[in-house]
Amino acid sequence: MSHPPIDAPELSVIARSPFHVYFEGPAQTVTASNKVGQFDILAGHADFFSMLTPGEVVIETPSEPITFTISNGIITVRDNEVMLFVNM
Amino acid sequence: MRRASAIEKESVQITTVGDLTGVFESIASTQVAKVKNKVGLSKEFFRLLWSRYSSIRIDPSAQIINRKPIDGQLDKVFVIISAEAGLSGDIDQRLIETMLQNYDKDTTDIIVLGTHGATQLTQQGIPFSRYFQVPESDKYIDVSPVIEAIMPYSKVVVYYEEYVSLGVQEIKIIDLISSLRNMGQEADDDDVITVQDTIFEPSLDEIADQMEMTMMTLALSQTILESSLAQAASRFNAMAVAKKRARELLADYQLEFHRAKRSESDRRLREVMISLKKKRSHSGVKR
Repeated sequence: MSHPPIDAPELSVIARSPFHVYFEGPAQTVTASNKVGQFDILAGHADFFSMLTPGEVVIETPSEPITFTISNGIITVRDNEVMLFVNM
Repeated sequence: MRRASAIEKESVQITTVGDLTGVFESIASTQVAKVKNKVGLSKEFFRLLWSRYSSIRIDPSAQIINRKPIDGQLDKVFVIISAEAGLSGDIDQRLIETMLQNYDKDTTDIIVLGTHGATQLTQQGIPFSRYFQVPESDKYIDVSPVIEAIMPYSKVVVYYEEYVSLGVQEIKIIDLISSLRNMGQEADDDDVITVQDTIFEPSLDEIADQMEMTMMTLALSQTILESSLAQAASRFNAMAVAKKRARELLADYQLEFHRAKRSESDRRLREVMISLKKKRSHSGVKR
């Protein structure tokens, strides 16, 4: 996984389960897995909807990486806005 | 009149009952605060998910909110969400009474959640097709078995208890599919997303199905949360009434205790006076 430079444009990320907020705020990358395999979302990524497979999600924030485990989920990416609906 | 020592013993027991109801009261109050927070989070989650769902273009007749009944089976089901155990005041009884006003056994199936509701239906001789324990609401609500049971029906009417305030809980009736539609209308619609401008993995239809199932689950989970909130408030009220009654009883017992004490000392004094009189008359002493 390669990290973008510090001044790279940022993603706006919301990661939630029905009763828990994992993260909300700016981030540089989001890493998750779907049936095809692991993938990274960076700023400028094409609009993208995908069902997630169980595993770890990593959100690289300006301060520290946020890591959490999911059993299922959906990721949506639109205009650098990433929404992760997980553990539903 | 009872003995002061017996009254004292009973008043100690009432004090213990009063203290216990106080503990139950504060547990119920904490539970109310916790569940209220979850209801807020769940509603926000639904709003965000809906904003994405409503922007992907799928055939409207295939959407969950526009489902048609399947031929050859009862198309209506009542889902009753009651408490898992007693100590929840009279709210479950009110819930069953409300449901019975609209119930027709020839056209409607009943699915009940919660042992308390199932027991009440059995006692009244009302058959139900499925029973589920109320899913755990402390960490994660798994309503998938319930969703599976209600999916064949085109009309799903949920009877549940709604929290209005600590003092007021109401019985609510919702049509789950219509409610889903209403919840969606409250959410903001995003711009249209199509397969031409967006990558869907594995496919748009599979993602839409997953989103619909999640929203159905959320809508049902929210009614369960609302019910558990109302039940906690009802329990809080029942405990507050019990605590007040214990206090009143204790005051009565204290009054009775003091009366018994005074009566016992009066009696002892009388006995002393009588025996003194007798002694004096035996020894021939005159006043």
